[in-house]
Amino acid sequence: MSNEVNYGTIIKNGIFGENPVFRLALSLCPAVAVTSGVKNGFLMGVAVFFVMTMVNATVSLLRKFINPKVRIPSYMFIIATWVTVTDLVMAAYARDVYKQMGLYIMLIVAFAIVLSRAEMFASKNKLLPSIVDGAAMGMGFLLALVLLGIFREFLGKGSLWGQQILVSDGKAIKPLLIMILPTGGFFAMGLMMGWLNWIDRKFFGGTGGGGGAH
Amino acid sequence: MKDMLKITLGLVAIFIAAGLVMGVTYKYTSPVRFIAEKKEKEEALKAMAPDATDPIKPAGNWSSSHGKPYEYYMATSSGKPVAYISSTAGKGYSSYIAMLVSMDTDLKIKDVKILHHGETPGLGDQVEDRILFLDQFKGKALSQLVLLKTETKENIQAISGATISSRAVTNGVKDAVQTLVDKYGAGVRTAAQEVAK
Repeated sequence: MSNEVNYGTIIKNGIFGENPVFRLALSLCPAVAVTSGVKNGFLMGVAVFFVMTMVNATVSLLRKFINPKVRIPSYMFIIATWVTVTDLVMAAYARDVYKQMGLYIMLIVAFAIVLSRAEMFASKNKLLPSIVDGAAMGMGFLLALVLLGIFREFLGKGSLWGQQILVSDGKAIKPLLIMILPTGGFFAMGLMMGWLNWIDRKFFGGTGGGGGAH
Repeated sequence: MKDMLKITLGLVAIFIAAGLVMGVTYKYTSPVRFIAEKKEKEEALKAMAPDATDPIKPAGNWSSSHGKPYEYYMATSSGKPVAYISSTAGKGYSSYIAMLVSMDTDLKIKDVKILHHGETPGLGDQVEDRILFLDQFKGKALSQLVLLKTETKENIQAISGATISSRAVTNGVKDAVQTLVDKYGAGVRTAAQEVAK
């Protein structure tokens, strides 16, 4: 990394070039598990967004203090701390959300994307770029989950954000149930990855197929 | 050797700092959480017995065949019992389906409410989403709580594609009703006989 920091590139990388789900293909398990509805995907994305920003900030602040030999346990502990804080705060102040998401929040500790950004970026960069990177990556993750959620919920339930959209004769139509089951999650993921690669190749002259700026 | 000490001390410092952050967060969020949880429970109980004027008090504990503890409550209106409520759960396809069951003084079911579950979306979660399924329980007595796969008005009809979850709900409700019949059945029977006289 050079000394000059281009925030625009970091943000673009996080959301498009190295989108955690569609490009880096990290943290696919939670991406499949929670995106049976737009709402769940969005809420999970918000939690990850917060955790990633905080973790990147903390790791960046402590980067000179953490001995490289024990960096992974240190990062894991920092991640676990922020996830616990998120969990406790949500349990107290966002009860309705917590009832649906509670099970998944603790899983953020094991998300590969959080650890990988701490290791790849925050441990080598100053505070502000690290925060921007965490936020951009978190935003990329959030957007990917929302996209998957829209795709799956619309086909699998005929609704968006719990609102029934596909109706005939006043009754909900019978949707493609498989899309909200785990199987459908993999279908949706593969299709969206393919589309995004196709769009990238067709309109932006990219190589399509992973790998962003570096 | 000196290096090792430095690494260890560094890790310990991080752990202590993390512990402090979590502890402080817990200190400030746990009272809010506790109050919210208590309020939610009271509201759920109240919704199960809307005609009770007195606060609903726990009347005892029981444990089901799968060994989990549950509570039952008596709802009273100016001292006279109007409804019995029990928490219960049934073992479904991928989770325990936690429920509240309310019964009238004849120990017939008034209402069944699913609190939380982790059944398959689209299949098992229909026990909660399809109101017609839970409505079947209303007015049923203990002996009628049998799950059938055919059309029935007397018993409980399973949701096709969600038989295991349907059975879990039926069994959980049955456990709760059975417990309260064992506890209060005699009293109910005497009361009924007195009315008959």
